[in-house]
Amino acid sequence: MDATEIEFLAEKFPITIVPNFAQEKLYLISGDVGPFNPGIPLEVPMWLGMNLRQRGKCRLVIPPWMDAEKLAEKKEEESQSKVFTEMPCEHYLVVAQLLLSAAPEDIPNSQQVKTLVKDMWDLRISKLRSSVAEFIKIEGTHAKLDRLTLLEINSIRPFLPHAFDHLHRLSKAAYTSKLSQTQEL
Amino acid sequence: MSDSEEDIIEGSGDEGEAMTASEVLQKLEEAWITERISPTLERHQSELVDCMLDQINQMTENLKRCKKHDFRLAIHKMEIDRIRYIISSYLRVRLEKIERFAHYLLEKEANTTEESLAVLSPHEVAYARDYISSLESHFQSLVLQHVPENLRTFDAAKMSVKPNMDSYIFLRAKQETQGVLLEDETGEGRDEEVDLEEGSQHLMRYKPISHLLHSGAVTLI
Repeated sequence: MDATEIEFLAEKFPITIVPNFAQEKLYLISGDVGPFNPGIPLEVPMWLGMNLRQRGKCRLVIPPWMDAEKLAEKKEEESQSKVFTEMPCEHYLVVAQLLLSAAPEDIPNSQQVKTLVKDMWDLRISKLRSSVAEFIKIEGTHAKLDRLTLLEINSIRPFLPHAFDHLHRLSKAAYTSKLSQTQEL
Repeated sequence: MSDSEEDIIEGSGDEGEAMTASEVLQKLEEAWITERISPTLERHQSELVDCMLDQINQMTENLKRCKKHDFRLAIHKMEIDRIRYIISSYLRVRLEKIERFAHYLLEKEANTTEESLAVLSPHEVAYARDYISSLESHFQSLVLQHVPENLRTFDAAKMSVKPNMDSYIFLRAKQETQGVLLEDETGEGRDEEVDLEEGSQHLMRYKPISHLLHSGAVTLI
């Protein structure tokens, strides 16, 4: 899968907006949205919220986890822990990226938030890389990766699954040739 | 009113279960993700696809009737584009796999008698057959006619490509499953039994969990 497809999937998730216009309910195929009243916050899918923001028809409410302090705490936690910690949002990188590009003024301390999110991403990816190296060395057959987000998993695709396919094929071939040798004897 | 109401659509007719459009869309999205990641062709969801296409057509009709509400129109159009993207990507992935595994899939289809287990939809079966015959006639006219008599046979069975059921894939367990048996084919006697907790994510071979995928206990990510 591409990163763009994962962004596409992330865009379905809800975000709170505060519209500056009035509109009755919109009956979208994926669900009802609205009614829109100026100044009253409501939830819409991210792709809709982004579009409305770009047209200047609303203000975005930043999700609570995107606060500079909370992110700094999370980053601390992540760097202290040897395993992966639970991320505040499954698509934290995508959401941060979209919000920072569409509405940087709506976010307090946007530079800090940007650096913190990027740092967290880098931390987790480096942990992922070292654990992948470990895993291949011990020739594991199955791995549990509970708290990895979709984008992180996608970053090691297709390398990791293909590597395992090859290892599996090689060991299987070695086994069957060993079998056929013993059968000949 | 120009906006279409959320329709209640009849589901796959076994229990006459009704699904809303958004549920159908959700299921179609899951089918799309599964198809992208799975090494083999999954069961066809032509009902979901047809249903969504209907919805899109209905919506487009409604939009035509309603003139120039500017941004409401744009929003509905955006959503239609998103759905159309999912549908075309889904169908494109399936066609790719059908072309790659055409012979194997047709053989499997010939051996499946139950409708609900069918992997190829009727249109796809026709497509696969046409593809194989075009390929064969192409090879005939390009090469085989011109080579000596004894080399002229075209053995489709020898040329068929089978999907690699041992590919590794990432999955998430939707329900708690105990005792998934991972057989060890490398003869080192390392058969493993794994318990899958709800919500946990794993990396393992496709073959041991394909039955779980079909029963809905896991989903590919």
